[in-house]
Amino acid sequence: MSGGIARGRLAEERKAWRKNHPHGFVARPESGADGALNLMVWQCTLPGKAGTDWEGGYYPITIHFSEDYPSKPPKCKFPASFFHPNVYPSGTVCLSILNEDSGWRPAITVKQILVGIQELLDAPNPADPAQTEAYQLFIQDPDEYKRRVRQQAKLYPPPV
Amino acid sequence: MGSEEERIAIEKEKVLMVGAGGIGCELLKTLALTGFKHIHLIDMDTIEVSNLNRQFLFRKSHVGQSKAKVAREAVLKFRPGVDIVAHHGNVKNAEFDIDFFKQFSVVLNGLDNLEARRHVNRLCLAAGVPLVESGTTGYLGQVTVHIKGKTECYECQPKPAPKSYPVCTITSTPSKLIHCIVWAKELALAKLFGDKSQVNELDVRPSVLADAKADTNEVGNDADFFELRRGESTWQFAGRVFDRIFGYNIETALQNEDTWKARRRPDPLYLDKILPPEEFTAEENGNGEIENPTVSAMVTLGLKNPQKIWDVQENARVFLETIQLFFKRRSKDIGKLVFDKDDQLAVEFVTAAANLRAHSFGIPMQSLFEAKGMAGNIIHAIATTNACIAGLIVLEALKLLTKRTEQCRMTYCVEHPTRKMLLVPVEPAEPNPHCYVCSETPLVLEVNTVTATMRDVIEKVLKRKLGVDSPVIMQGSSLLYETGDDLEEDMAAHYASLLNKSLASYPTPITTGVVLTVEDYHQDFRCSLHVKHRETFDEEKEPDGMLITGDIASVVNTDDTLQPKIVADEDLSNKVENGHGEDDDDDDDMVMFTPETLAGAKRKLEEEESLPVEKRLKIQQLPAMS
Repeated sequence: MSGGIARGRLAEERKAWRKNHPHGFVARPESGADGALNLMVWQCTLPGKAGTDWEGGYYPITIHFSEDYPSKPPKCKFPASFFHPNVYPSGTVCLSILNEDSGWRPAITVKQILVGIQELLDAPNPADPAQTEAYQLFIQDPDEYKRRVRQQAKLYPPPV
Repeated sequence: MGSEEERIAIEKEKVLMVGAGGIGCELLKTLALTGFKHIHLIDMDTIEVSNLNRQFLFRKSHVGQSKAKVAREAVLKFRPGVDIVAHHGNVKNAEFDIDFFKQFSVVLNGLDNLEARRHVNRLCLAAGVPLVESGTTGYLGQVTVHIKGKTECYECQPKPAPKSYPVCTITSTPSKLIHCIVWAKELALAKLFGDKSQVNELDVRPSVLADAKADTNEVGNDADFFELRRGESTWQFAGRVFDRIFGYNIETALQNEDTWKARRRPDPLYLDKILPPEEFTAEENGNGEIENPTVSAMVTLGLKNPQKIWDVQENARVFLETIQLFFKRRSKDIGKLVFDKDDQLAVEFVTAAANLRAHSFGIPMQSLFEAKGMAGNIIHAIATTNACIAGLIVLEALKLLTKRTEQCRMTYCVEHPTRKMLLVPVEPAEPNPHCYVCSETPLVLEVNTVTATMRDVIEKVLKRKLGVDSPVIMQGSSLLYETGDDLEEDMAAHYASLLNKSLASYPTPITTGVVLTVEDYHQDFRCSLHVKHRETFDEEKEPDGMLITGDIASVVNTDDTLQPKIVADEDLSNKVENGHGEDDDDDDDMVMFTPETLAGAKRKLEEEESLPVEKRLKIQQLPAMS
């Protein structure tokens, strides 16, 4: 019986997304083996911004909503070992608007979350590193960092 | 006090109490002494020693017995004439259905968790029985009245969610002891003694950093660092873990200058700087390999007072000793340990580990007693608050039973006088028209779930009877069906392929007891369908092979409550246009989630930073004052 507020809000989010969403982005509830769609987990794709090293990549991201959403932010995960200074080795994104203590507000929409993560891709926050590899390259070896980012973009080609 | 009408109501009306705990004991006593004669009481719990200080109907000899049954017997001793029916069971059990609720004139809640409160709220709405809801947290408490259609229901306003902490604060930048306690409980304890297959970020960052300079540092990036090595004594292991998590990891984190620009730099702790070497290199003490679930490092170390704050040495000794005891006397738990506030050794470990980390970050340390309270999310209950709240519940119940609903008040019990009052009355709010729980009238759909398909339900009931144009059908958080021009093509095809399945053959069978939520985004319409399987239908009278009953008019016109109600089963297609309200292109319809509402709720939470996450809430209800 619990989670009704989360469910109601997610139905609204689904409705809003269907009506209007940014070009190149995909976001939809996960389809289970049984053919039903689970509103609590969304499979999304966000395109790297044009004119950045991330361009050409269509990055898969999974958003996990809890029963306490939207009081609490959802958890956003890239594939494990995704190369980015603010992504944990587990793939979890470390971003202020997804942090209950700083930037999260219940009014933030799925669209805003995805656009926020797209922004983060090319504008990492060195004050809050979540993995060492990308963070150190970003600080110490910008050329190699760029090369790795472009290499990663090729791993995620546009969906057919 | 005590009109004739009131006296009659008290003796005649049948009331349901849900919960026989802190508030429940007080409430049952007050009801009986007020003169109530017919009381049903539900509680699933059994009596624990820790209840006895305030749940005064129980004695030590009752420990382990049903709260509901013992409470009944205790009250019958001083009020033998009262008819009390005790149910030892979960209020969510199927036996306590809508019909069960309908026999009562009022329902009185003394619950300790959100889930059960929501459940009772919905049953009260469905049965049309008024609800008096209550809760206490230490000195704070509240009693609220919920009358269907007149006041907001329990779920009209979002409830503040238990607080969680961002991973970054816990793993790298704690600023309060609670952060260290969460770290000790969720990361350190879990890493050493918990399920190894769970992702754990205790060591992630430093071990990756170690990669970069693996040649120069002997502390490698070995995945099994936190395992007891062959030939290693538990002392050596405990010392190695100590230096790693309090010394090396901190030192590694310090290398990231950006993190510490605006923060105090933590001090790494190494064992040889804290304890004299003979202490932590001591030989194993060989005796006592017997498993013992109640071992305690405080006992073996001779630390007696749980309210005393240990110094750094003592914390270090407790840390080492708890690890040692886990390996020697609790080895069966290793690999599956989960924190439990009643597990003395786990509490000792968490206290010591949290304190050591706190020391390193310049955060004041705390006693085991305090740390246990924080780790176990314990807010100490106060019997007097429970008694006040129980009294207020009875006063509201009396108003409801004598139909003086306009006099009903929500009352908040506060810690410091507000307008010279400790009990602050507030007029109940109107129902939230967007509340998904109480703004809909539940409908009952009788259908042969084995033969009827989803297409049948959509065509014959949703479109023809309810006037829904493009339905979205949900069951809980599962989307079963969507339509509309803006639907992705592959999704549309997917849904079309499901349409001809019979209801019962859905992977989660749609049959008696299932509640479907039907929405139409265009019409801003929503309703719930309670499905009921029925084998046969009268072909003449019920040619559709299904029957929908309920207060349909109010469903079609969610925004227009003045609209006269139309009897069920009437053709409503001519009413559909009323459903077309102003389109909601923006977020206006999400008004219940605006930051203001939530911010208000959050502010009240300041003292209760960490609330229970999974286990049943031990604190009662968060006061939601306005």
